[in-house]
Amino acid sequence: MNIFLKELKSHRKSLIFWSIGIFLMVTSGMVKYESLSSSGQPMNEMLAGMPKSLLAVLGIGEFDISTASGYYGLLYIYLLLMATIHSAMLGATIIAKEERDKTTEFLFVKPVSRNGAILAKLAAAFVNILILNIVTFVSSLVLVGKYSNGEVVTGDIAITMAGMFILQLLFMVIGSSLAAVKRKSKTAASFAAVILLLTYLISVVIDLNEGIEGLKYLTPFKYFEAKNIMFGGGLEFIYVLLSGGWIAVLTAVTFIFYKKRDLNV
Amino acid sequence: MNVIEIKNLTKMYGASRGISDISFTVEEGEIFGFIGPNGAGKSTTIRTLLSLIYPTSGSATIFGKDIVQFAPEIKKEIGYLPSEVFYYDNMKVKDLLNYSASFYKKDCRKRIKELANIMDLDLNKKIDDLSLGNKKKVGIVQGLLHEPKLIILDEPTSGLDPLMQQKFFELLEEENRKGATILFSSHILTEVQRLCNRVAIIKEGRIVAVEKISTLKENTYKKFKVETKSALDPHYFNLAGVNKLEVKDTHTSFLFKGNINEVMRKIADVEITNLWIEEPDLEEIFMHYYEKEA
Repeated sequence: MNIFLKELKSHRKSLIFWSIGIFLMVTSGMVKYESLSSSGQPMNEMLAGMPKSLLAVLGIGEFDISTASGYYGLLYIYLLLMATIHSAMLGATIIAKEERDKTTEFLFVKPVSRNGAILAKLAAAFVNILILNIVTFVSSLVLVGKYSNGEVVTGDIAITMAGMFILQLLFMVIGSSLAAVKRKSKTAASFAAVILLLTYLISVVIDLNEGIEGLKYLTPFKYFEAKNIMFGGGLEFIYVLLSGGWIAVLTAVTFIFYKKRDLNV
Repeated sequence: MNVIEIKNLTKMYGASRGISDISFTVEEGEIFGFIGPNGAGKSTTIRTLLSLIYPTSGSATIFGKDIVQFAPEIKKEIGYLPSEVFYYDNMKVKDLLNYSASFYKKDCRKRIKELANIMDLDLNKKIDDLSLGNKKKVGIVQGLLHEPKLIILDEPTSGLDPLMQQKFFELLEEENRKGATILFSSHILTEVQRLCNRVAIIKEGRIVAVEKISTLKENTYKKFKVETKSALDPHYFNLAGVNKLEVKDTHTSFLFKGNINEVMRKIADVEITNLWIEEPDLEEIFMHYYEKEA
């Protein structure tokens, strides 16, 4: 319990910054929507004139961006990227920082097992990503609601947040398992970021090239895309199962490898 | 009862040597010295005992319990002071000590105050702002606040001024009187000589000797210096048990271990003008262990 509280405290400041960041992201996105929709320009027509590849790279795809919910669907990928970067870095550093700061000789000579420490740290990270998810949820709800002209958005936003939370968890354990496995755990955070960017790139490439649709199981960014889960689509069972499986495996990897290996002192 | 029992403990870092085949025991109530130069494997041994790293082969027990299997349980009664202290930034001394105390299921507040008083440590400072010596003091308080039965110290005096060193040693002796067993690792012989009952000498990852300090000093070498009237045959004192024989004109010096009467008879047979017989200090004994196999 003491490690859990200590971790919550030491990540509090960074959580506040991330929360502010994600709030500003939603705000600036929706303010942009307002200026676009009030300028009277038919946005869908404008987009129709753009090449498909450009739309794919921008993540615009098939949204009706003249509605607030459609515009939010477009914004969602950026919120998702922010939240997953946060989780991946958090998962990696919360494990690796004892070795980075050379505090292993403090913590692990106390009557605490490796498993106990990891459990407390993952629990603290879990609370952090949950809070960031709630902040995103509430900011989205309030700001999208403000511009929705009566369109009901709560359900759509809730489902995207559910998808985002699953991916946050997944990237958190990607980070933590890297830190647990790697002897030089300091590099785990940057390694996790590389994996995140690579999987995101794969998802963009898949959008550009329909021939490689089959690769979609490889990248979590294809699991819960706004265009599929919003507007009544819902989370697909296969992807929930797949994410759940990965989360379980990587959590186990985190515990097992951290227990087995020599700590860097 | 043996508090620490190490059996054939080996730790390899990949192919390179950590420690190999180390065995020794530390009895309850002892202050046990663990001595060797930097890089000999003292810290590796200690970190293995604390299961920060795991043995490649061999085993060890503390309080009769296996160090790997029962690590968290054993550590309830261990206080450890590492050679370099690192703490979480942005914490006050007070917060760190309370955090440290929160791992033990007892009320340590009174002891923290006592120890801070003895070591003259300001509890309200930020750890980042402390000097090396003051950080070390935090380490000392942190290692002793739960009144452990076994205190493990790895090069504990670096960064402490002589006055604080003195207070620290007194503190350790006090803890020892109250029943704590102490494992004291160091490369400084005088501090080991001052505190310890027994020592293990480690060299290149292997134990070369485990001896009582008193035995080390009594039973080993005596330093002889003989001044004779006329120059001696350089091989005159060349008998079994003589070491480091040096002859310079009328001055002959050597180390001797064995039946002292034999040397005395030899000395009586020549005309001498002066004679010195000295106990070697620990430093010289120690160097002896190191040169013997070099």
